[in-house]
Amino acid sequence: MKDFIVPGEVLYAEPRRFDGSFVEDNQTFSSVLSVKYDDKVVPLKGKYTPVVSDYVIGVIKEERFSGYEIDINSPYEGTLSSRDLRESFEVGQVVSAVIRAVDEVNEALLVEPRKLWGGHIVEVESVKIPRVIGRNNSMVMMLEQYTGSRIFVGKNGRIYVKGGNAALALLAILKIAKEAHVHGLTDRVKAFLEEEYRKAGKTPSASSSLLSEPAEAREERDESMP
Amino acid sequence: MAREADIVDEIRAEYVKDVLKNGQRVDGRELLAYRPFSVQKGVFPNAEGSALAKLGDTQVAAGIKFDILEPFADRPTEGVFTVQCEFLPLAHPTFEAGPPNENSIELARIVDRGIRSGECVDVEKFFIEEGKVLGLFVDLYVLDHCGNLSDCASLAAMAALTDAKIPKVEEAKIVRQEYSGALPLQRLVLSSTFEKINGTVLLDADGDEDAASEGRLVLAVSDDGFLCASQKSKRAAFHAEEILALFDLAKDKTAPLFRAIKA
Amino acid sequence: MEKEKKLIVDGKRADGRGMEDLRPLSIKAGVLKRADGSALIEWGRNKVLAAAYGPREVFPKHLSNVHKAIINCRYAMAPFSSIEEHGRSGPNRRAIEIGKVAKHVFENIVLTKQFPKTQIDISMEVLQSDGGTRVAGITAASVALADAGIPMKDLVQGVSLGRVEGQLVADLDKYEDNQGEADVPLIVSLRSREILLFQQDGMLTKEELARMFEMGFKGAEAVRAVQVQALKDRYYGPHELNEDG
Repeated sequence: MKDFIVPGEVLYAEPRRFDGSFVEDNQTFSSVLSVKYDDKVVPLKGKYTPVVSDYVIGVIKEERFSGYEIDINSPYEGTLSSRDLRESFEVGQVVSAVIRAVDEVNEALLVEPRKLWGGHIVEVESVKIPRVIGRNNSMVMMLEQYTGSRIFVGKNGRIYVKGGNAALALLAILKIAKEAHVHGLTDRVKAFLEEEYRKAGKTPSASSSLLSEPAEAREERDESMP
Repeated sequence: MAREADIVDEIRAEYVKDVLKNGQRVDGRELLAYRPFSVQKGVFPNAEGSALAKLGDTQVAAGIKFDILEPFADRPTEGVFTVQCEFLPLAHPTFEAGPPNENSIELARIVDRGIRSGECVDVEKFFIEEGKVLGLFVDLYVLDHCGNLSDCASLAAMAALTDAKIPKVEEAKIVRQEYSGALPLQRLVLSSTFEKINGTVLLDADGDEDAASEGRLVLAVSDDGFLCASQKSKRAAFHAEEILALFDLAKDKTAPLFRAIKA
Repeated sequence: MEKEKKLIVDGKRADGRGMEDLRPLSIKAGVLKRADGSALIEWGRNKVLAAAYGPREVFPKHLSNVHKAIINCRYAMAPFSSIEEHGRSGPNRRAIEIGKVAKHVFENIVLTKQFPKTQIDISMEVLQSDGGTRVAGITAASVALADAGIPMKDLVQGVSLGRVEGQLVADLDKYEDNQGEADVPLIVSLRSREILLFQQDGMLTKEELARMFEMGFKGAEAVRAVQVQALKDRYYGPHELNEDG
């Protein structure tokens, strides 16, 4: 059974601490819209707050003496320290990176930046990212299989899609984000992908991209799904 | 000083341009097609006329109020017609509260000029007595900015005018919520707004296309086929033949919008 | 003006309501695409649009607080919102005061310490007014904040109370408000039973005020049910609600 939860409702009669909740008088209350299944609480909305070791997709926002400021789809900025860098970036460049540290005001130090070229970014609620990835990467793998696109999922709610039928991959990702909380998601997404191909009179393997598709190492993909 | 436009907007603009290279739009529309639109009249019955227009995700509300004013000295027997526009801070992440800026003034002026030069409202009928005339205020409220504010605003303004009633005036005072009749309109005027991106012209930009646009042409046409007001905006230029062809297109493309207002 | 017109006859108000009855109330969440969260409330003839942005970077930067998010709150009436003359654009002195007390409500319930060095912007735009717009606006803004995923201690709401022809009434319309002898807008947290906004005009006895608070908390329960339904409808169409997870 599933309950729709609004801010201020009692979730547990004892204190538990997790995102989307707060503790008062030894009870745990919800602080955001959530769904409660059995004993598990899943927030429906919320902005991304940086967490150490998350893989994120950012956009270079500003160059500074000490390095770069990165937009990470969050109220907080990421920074790349020039000490860690061997290459330079232009403002507007899309990069993937890993969060090494987060300071007391939630600013994130990023490392291992990698430039992403020639694809598209789509943004979804960061709380929906686990559904986009799927259990053991199952959802991402299905999307890649049907669309022929390469898909990099940032924990910060940004997804980078490159090559293949990118437009279809983007539509499917938006569908996942919109219906993440409704039962039977995987089957519905699969039916959607098959229907789109049937309409286009194509088979998944015959798909082609609208956009340029420069060669890029396939092994990068695996880093996207930690 | 305004909040700087999100750097991420530029990335999205790049995406729009890439897709447009193949003659396609991100949302799958034809280049010269409007998004789905709707007009709802009489949404704010406290006002003497009102409407909510939606064009895709863009939403603009319009309200009409009448007040008794002093006429302008050079036109002592004519009423006063004013269009104002507010970009509410809730309509876009970069909008801020404050006095009108160049964008909101430009938008109000475009709508105003179209209605004024189309002589939609007969201000000579607004004379009450010496030193007193009716003033008609059209307030445009931008609620959600997802591209093409000009057409959505002109649709809202015109729909609100067709919804408007002239208040009853007794002893040179307005009796609120009582009316002497519908506001007569001599003709209707609506705009079609074209954007130029990498040399490609498209109609009715959505939010990302709006950000990507390099040139804009607003053409306000009347339901009897006149061009009533025009505005070339942004950096990119247009050719004379282009503008003439777009005038014909504007007449075609506004036809269903006029029908919706008259319905 | 119309002095002879009685507002309460045989225990019924001019529009047929009983003393504690609220006007028809509906809320729709997620009505704006750009805003992080939004809601439209229609309450009697009131129509108020509320929206929330944030938490986001503070602008200008020097205003930021390293311990918590700052909250900005705007309440304004559209120039065409009233039955009377064309109004001025933007907030006037009354509206600025309302924006400020509304801000204090949200400073209380938003978990601002989770988002240091950020700001949260709340707008309440009154598109049509008919008495009780501040309460309607804050009730809608609370839904907009929840819709934006901004963490809060509770979903807050309220009603306006007043005294008309010697009788205590809930949810006054504009006419009752203009003719009334006292006026008390109230915003509460039902979870903590705290009063978060309280303003008052007109002379009241202690008993009257106590009774108004009681009526306020009772009214708030009905309002909260509408808020919760609005948020539920945003995520589950009516048919999807029964689908088992």
